Amino acid sequence: MNRATKTCLIVDDSKMIRRVATRILRDLQFTPSEAGDGRQAMEMCKTSMPDAILLDWNMPIMDGLAFLKALRNTEGGSKPVVVFCTAERDVIKIAEALDAGADEYVMKPFDSDILESKFSEVGLLG
Amino acid sequence: MSGTLSLKPSYYEALKRLTAELVGVKLGDDHAFLVETRLAVLARKEGFEGLSHMIDELFSRGQTRLAIHVVTALLERATSFFDGRAGYEALGDILLPQLHSIYRGGAVRILSYGCSSGHEVYSAAILAEKIKDVLPGMDINLTGVDYPSQALERAKAGRFTHFEVQRGLPIRHLIEYFDKDGEDWVVKPGLLQKITFIDHNLLADIEQLGTYQIVMFRGRLKQFTTPARIRILRGLGKLVCANGYLMLGSHERLDEMNFGFEQNMVAPGCYKKKPHQEILPDLEPNPEIEPEIAPEADLDLLPRLQEYSNNRTA
Repeated sequence: MNRATKTCLIVDDSKMIRRVATRILRDLQFTPSEAGDGRQAMEMCKTSMPDAILLDWNMPIMDGLAFLKALRNTEGGSKPVVVFCTAERDVIKIAEALDAGADEYVMKPFDSDILESKFSEVGLLG
Repeated sequence: MSGTLSLKPSYYEALKRLTAELVGVKLGDDHAFLVETRLAVLARKEGFEGLSHMIDELFSRGQTRLAIHVVTALLERATSFFDGRAGYEALGDILLPQLHSIYRGGAVRILSYGCSSGHEVYSAAILAEKIKDVLPGMDINLTGVDYPSQALERAKAGRFTHFEVQRGLPIRHLIEYFDKDGEDWVVKPGLLQKITFIDHNLLADIEQLGTYQIVMFRGRLKQFTTPARIRILRGLGKLVCANGYLMLGSHERLDEMNFGFEQNMVAPGCYKKKPHQEILPDLEPNPEIEPEIAPEADLDLLPRLQEYSNNRTA
């Protein structure tokens, strides 16, 4: 089944959020991996580009927006579906993320239904 | 699970009878937890010490006002935006283009029957906005009707929680059609004004609602008792104008009675209305398959519910 082969990189400086997202994404038949900041995520993407990225905004070293802009300018970086997952709820911020190349946007707090809905929205679930 | 519930089984049975009699909705045995959760909230709001006290009061004194509040609290459905996506694809790809070819633009009326908190009718309104450039000249008006309830009040206000707007609604639609208001999101006035909401007892006389080219009644058939379902579908058969459509859930069917609709679906769950002259025979009552709405019902409560609805809108 196709869904079992999808990979998703979870980029968030909160260990707890990464743990919760990992559990939910496993339930959705993804193979998740984790990064604690944008720079680490970029290194991982250069090694192996995931199918999807669940991306926090505010992180140390390299934030989500800077990572996304860099990713989209990297070879193969247009391929991953990027879902921002952040506490930022301001419409201007959301528009900024979409302009930078995000495919969807999740506002924290979130639950499994929301992640499932958003990943369906971008065509990653059946 | 039922061991953790505080509601006496006899009271739960009585509540099941009450909702069946008042509004034709059947509560399953597996709804006990949901019922208890909903009614516990209502009991607090009504100032009772607990749920059992409220139910004691309801059945010992037979308060109509309380009965209405209890039943409408139980009717709220958990819905989400663009739920049953295939239905919206049928609406945008088949039904509206076919109506556009018939009417060459002009006004098209869409009804969401049993609209609850409005997710369905707002989703249809967003789709209508998106499609208007493809179907020029088509003026789509939308109406949502349901029993008077907290859910319907929320629908009228167009106010949705942080969690609701993230289920089924693409982020681009959210920022285009909603404004952030505190923790909630509120439908923008431009979209809100395209929709009319009406308090309406779904089992009451339906003809006062007018006629529509499309009636959406999706995912609700199994919720109703058989007599109530037949009564509603017969009514909807009258609401849909010739060449119009009834939209059920993708997996729902009209079965052996067609209520004035063609037998073959144009899309899963979507039935086209027959030309007028072919409708009448199907609308004749059939006593063998149409029992009384509820033989043991206190039918006085039905007009009272309607009266309550009318007073709220006055």
